[in-house]
Amino acid sequence: MLTVTNVIKIFNPGTVNEKKALNGVKLHLKTGDFVTVIGSNGAGKSTLMNIISGVFPAEQGKIIIDGLDVTCHPEYHRGKIIGRVFQDPMMGTAAGMTIEENLVLAFRRGQKRSITKAIKTKDRELFREKLKLLGLNLEHNLQQKVGLLSGGQRQALTLLMATLTKPKLLLLDEHIAALDPNTAYQVMELTKQIIKNNQITTLMITHDLHQALAVGNRTIMMHEGEIVYELKGDERKKASVSTLLSLFEKARGREFSNDRMMLI
Amino acid sequence: MYLFVETLEQGLIYSLVVLGVYLSFRILDYADLSVDGTLPLGAAVAAGMIVAGYNPWLATVMATIAGMIGGFITGFLHTKFKINPLLTGILTMTALYSVNLEVMGRANIPLLNQDMIFMPIFGLEEGTFTLGLLIGIVALLVFLLYRFLDTEVGLALRATGNNRQMITSLGVNTDNMKLLGLGLSNGMVSLGGALLAQYQGFADIGMGIGTIIGGLASLIIGEVLLSNGSISRDLIAVVFGSIIFRMIIALVLWLGLPPAYLKLMTAVIVIAALAASNIKSIGLKKESPVYADSN
Ligand SMILES: Nc1ncnc2c1ncn2[C@@H]1O[C@H](COP(=O)(O)OP(=O)(O)OP(=O)(O)O)[C@@H](O)[C@H]1O
Ligand SMILES: [Mg+2]
Repeated sequence: MLTVTNVIKIFNPGTVNEKKALNGVKLHLKTGDFVTVIGSNGAGKSTLMNIISGVFPAEQGKIIIDGLDVTCHPEYHRGKIIGRVFQDPMMGTAAGMTIEENLVLAFRRGQKRSITKAIKTKDRELFREKLKLLGLNLEHNLQQKVGLLSGGQRQALTLLMATLTKPKLLLLDEHIAALDPNTAYQVMELTKQIIKNNQITTLMITHDLHQALAVGNRTIMMHEGEIVYELKGDERKKASVSTLLSLFEKARGREFSNDRMMLI
Repeated sequence: MYLFVETLEQGLIYSLVVLGVYLSFRILDYADLSVDGTLPLGAAVAAGMIVAGYNPWLATVMATIAGMIGGFITGFLHTKFKINPLLTGILTMTALYSVNLEVMGRANIPLLNQDMIFMPIFGLEEGTFTLGLLIGIVALLVFLLYRFLDTEVGLALRATGNNRQMITSLGVNTDNMKLLGLGLSNGMVSLGGALLAQYQGFADIGMGIGTIIGGLASLIIGEVLLSNGSISRDLIAVVFGSIIFRMIIALVLWLGLPPAYLKLMTAVIVIAALAASNIKSIGLKKESPVYADSN
C-alpha cells in the first residue's frame, strides 16, 4: 500500500543550520499493516510522516501509495487518500466551524466540491451514528462550535474525520500525547477499534514503548534519520519494553563507533 | 428626514464594501488592502462605460468583474509568488491607482444627465425607487452569500480561513480557495464603487482612500452589536454595521466636526475596537486551558 524508497530530507541545505533529517529511509507497508514508529526526539519520525503526506518535498527518493507515485504531488492532492491526526488537538479541526460542518468537510474528502448545500439530512443521520460510537455525547450537539470542545473531544473528532471516508493510509503522529491519561486511553481504544473495523493501513508514531508493542503488527525504530530496526512476527511477540531499550542503546552505540571510525 | 434617508442609502451601498471586507478579513483571514484600489476601480469602470453610452446595468456588471480580476491579482501575488498578504494588497492598490486613472482618462468623471441604474421605472417616484433598489440589491447579495457559505465550496472557503492545515489534509487546494475568496470580496467592493459613483453622480480617483479602515470600523461596530457567531447573523451585522457607521459620520458632521477630521475619527474607532478586543482576548487566554505544547 505504501512504499518509501531511499528518501533523503535535508532542512536548510547549504546553510549553517543544515540538517539531514531523513537519511535514505526505506519502508514498505502491505495493505492492512498497522506499523508503530518509535525513536528519540529529533529522530525524524514526524519528518517522515510530513514527507509521506507532502507537507514538504524530499530531496531524493520516491513515495508510492497504492501503486501511484505521489512523490511530486502537492499536499492537498495526497490529502484525498491520506487520513491524518496531528499531535496538537487544535490542528485537525476548524475551531470556528460546527461539528457537522467539520464532519461534512471530511466526508467529501477526495470528491469534487460543488456549490450545492453541503449538509444534507441523510448526512446528519450518518454523523450522529458515527459520533455515538465515540461515546462523548457529541451526537446531540451537531451545531456546536468545535472550538468549545475539550482537547480530547477534538482529537476524537479528528480521528473520526480522518477515517470517515476510508483513507488508503492513516498517519497518526503522537495523536494522544497531549491528552490526559484517561482521555488518552479512550482515544487509543477508539483508534484501535476504528482501524480494526475498517482494515486501515496505518503508521503511528508513539513515545509509549509499551503501546508500540501492544498495538499494530509491526514496529520500526528510527534514529538519526534512519530506520535502524524493525520488529515483526514472533520476534515482536517476544519483545518487551526492555528489548526496545537495549535496541535503542545499540543504535546509539553504532553511532559512537561511527564517530570513532571518523576519528581514525 | 432627507439627511436620514440619504445616510441610510449610503450605508446600504457601503454595506457591499463591508461584505467584501468581511469575506477577506473574517472568512478568509486575509488582511486584504486592495479594496482601497478596487472601490475606485468599480467607480471608474462604471462611470467610464456610462459616459461612453453603455447600458448602466452592463457597466455595473463589468465593474464588478473588474474588481474580481483585481482580487485575483492580489491572490495570485500571494499564492504564486508567496508575497505577504498585506504587501500583496498594497501592491495591487498602488498599481490600480494608475489603472484607474487610465480607465477614467482624468481624475474625475461627472455623471450629470447620464442614464444610470437609479433612473426610476414603472413610473415610481425617484426617491422611493432608489431606496427600494438598494434594499433589493443588498438583500439579494446577503441571501446569495448566505447560501454560498453553506455550500461545499463555501465551507471549504471558510475552513481555509479557519485552519489551513486541516483543510489541506482533507484534500482542498487552499490556493484556489484564496483566489476565489479574494475575487468575490473585491468584486463586491467594486460593485459598491460602481453604485456609489452612480449614486453620488461622479467617479473620483481619490474616492478609495480609507476604504479599508471605514470597512473595518463598520465591520467591528456590526459585530459588537449584533454578531453571535453564526454566518446569517454576521451578514446582517455587516449591513447594520455599515449603516450605523454612516449614521455616526453624518451625526458628527452635523455636530460640526470638520470633514478633514473624519479619517482620523475612523482610525480612532478601529484602534479603540481592536485594542478592546485584544485586551479582552489576552484575559481569556489566561483562563483557557492549554492542551498541547507542540514540538
Ligand atoms: N521545518 C523544519 N525546519 C528545520 N528543521 C526541521 C524542521 N522540522 C524538523 N526539523 C529537524 O529535523 C529533525 C527531525 O525532526 P522530527 O520532527 O522529524 O523529529 P521527531 O522524530 O518527530 O521528534 P519528536 O519525537 O521530538 O517529535 C530535528 O533535528 C528537527 O530539528
Ligand atoms: Mg515529532
